[in-house]
Amino acid sequence: MSDSPPKRSRHINLRHMRKSGRNFHLKPLAAALSAVTLLGCGSSHEAMVYRDVSDCIQDNPHLEEQCEKAYQRAQAESLNSGPKYASERDCNFDFGRDNCVAHTGPQGQNWFIPAMAGFMFARLLDDGYYRNGFGYGYSPLYTSYSRYSPHYGKWSTVDGKLYGSRRYGSIKVSGDAFKPKPKVVRTMSRGGFGSKVAAKSSWGGSSSRSGWGG
Amino acid sequence: MKRRTTQERPYWRDSAREYGFHFHTMYGEPYWDECAYYQFTLTQIENDIEDPTAEIHQMCLEVVSRVVSDEQLLRRFQIPEAHWDYIRNSWQQRDESLYARLDLAYNGEGPAKLYENNADTPTSLYETGFWQWLWLEDKIQAGEFPQHTDQFNSLQDKIVDRFYELAIQHPGEILHFSCCKDTEEDRGTVQYLEDCANEAGIHTRFVYVEDIGHGEGDLFTDLDDQVITWMFKLYPWEFMLREEFGTLLQASNTCWLEPPWKAILSNKALLPLLWQLWPNHPNLLPAYFEDQLPGSDLKDYVKKPIFAREGANVSIHVDGEEIINSGGPYGEEGFIYQAYHPLPKHDDNYTLIGSWLVNDKPAGISVREDKQLITQDLSRYVPHIILE
Repeated sequence: MSDSPPKRSRHINLRHMRKSGRNFHLKPLAAALSAVTLLGCGSSHEAMVYRDVSDCIQDNPHLEEQCEKAYQRAQAESLNSGPKYASERDCNFDFGRDNCVAHTGPQGQNWFIPAMAGFMFARLLDDGYYRNGFGYGYSPLYTSYSRYSPHYGKWSTVDGKLYGSRRYGSIKVSGDAFKPKPKVVRTMSRGGFGSKVAAKSSWGGSSSRSGWGG
Repeated sequence: MKRRTTQERPYWRDSAREYGFHFHTMYGEPYWDECAYYQFTLTQIENDIEDPTAEIHQMCLEVVSRVVSDEQLLRRFQIPEAHWDYIRNSWQQRDESLYARLDLAYNGEGPAKLYENNADTPTSLYETGFWQWLWLEDKIQAGEFPQHTDQFNSLQDKIVDRFYELAIQHPGEILHFSCCKDTEEDRGTVQYLEDCANEAGIHTRFVYVEDIGHGEGDLFTDLDDQVITWMFKLYPWEFMLREEFGTLLQASNTCWLEPPWKAILSNKALLPLLWQLWPNHPNLLPAYFEDQLPGSDLKDYVKKPIFAREGANVSIHVDGEEIINSGGPYGEEGFIYQAYHPLPKHDDNYTLIGSWLVNDKPAGISVREDKQLITQDLSRYVPHIILE
């Protein structure tokens, strides 16, 4: 038999390919992050909550650059991915009076957004997974002074997750706290792709096609 | 190249359930068929399939280069004028590509002949990258094939590796995946690709093509209003360029897999151009546009729509007569004519080889069989081995 390497895949992990039970997405780098649990259950990642960038630097004098980066990116994430309201009243309803700020959106929209009351800062053991590029996880944090809100007296993030009562200092969170938060915008319409499909599939009469590939 | 019959693995349907392969039988007819397999030698694979696949791919890239800078060709290729700049920019930036599948007629001897390039939305990815791989593993474990039996199939490894490479260009970015509603096969294929992307550490989200939204600022959004910056679509460019949201493509800045320049390769106008640039190339069949037909010496030919999928609207003409027509809803953009070179026959099966590329690297083959001459979406999928 020839000496050339095999022509077959060598890294197929059958465990990862199984579908029975839950959809199973094991991320191979998860093992390197010491206490990150799968599926976001449990709180086992050490993080610090700071009021602002100077608190972070005071606590970590050798990490001034990282604190700055984390703070700036947390602010950017707050704008890109955080809650936005058309009226100050609605924002106040959720977050409390004097807890919202006006902000002009990229298309000149007038928004009200909750103030960033703090931010999370955490050392990430394996940065590759989150690809923040500088080894630290971050997240903007809001709190609510409104008794009508389930966030009252607690920390919450851009996607509405709660992280315990509102105090500064150490906190335990799941690895999910630092995963990338995408930009969110208002959607004006849907269905602008896919109409050709309807036209072509009416030929042939079968209710479910085998697919649109070739 | 030999066709051999074999026993089914008795538990294969249970295995399919376990691994999420739900479309192995379609409309009550078998699609995945493990009652037979094809056997190739390593020389056949390397010399007659792998090397020509790499070469043909490079030739196709050259065609893209020519077409994007030639208005007459862009018209021949039915690219809507409003999108010429968009497609040209995509090529000039060398927007990254994931995969493609060349369809080849090959009988084990002599050069394989290119039927077409499925460069935008090739199917049978899961069956090829994983399912036929597993079949061989099981057969070897059961002692039915010797330990060193191989298969031309490193597709899954290469796809995952490619996702690792792409992730470096998109740090921290979510990769959206999309296909049409109401097709279990497409959803299965896309799920497989999502799994491969997750394996490479990429965060993914899914949205149906029909649900993609137009967000403020001319951005595309998913059902949670999250902006789509990077997306894999199992949906053809030639549809998107002609639909309502096609006007948003340029402004949206979304990065697509497959990239826009693939619109040039995923139509059959590619075939006359290849023949024009490399006449008499051993792996090409003579091919012409309709207006070039009188000047050609094409006698027996296959007429194919410029845009079509799964062998629809293909007709074969021998001795001046149409001997077969697969019918279908395509053809409004025109046709090309390719020399008739029938698929090889094994017993009463016609055999078509799908040769895969991941980026520019040959990655493996799939084998399809049909009792009819024109391979269509219900043609069976048969595994293969490499064994001397």
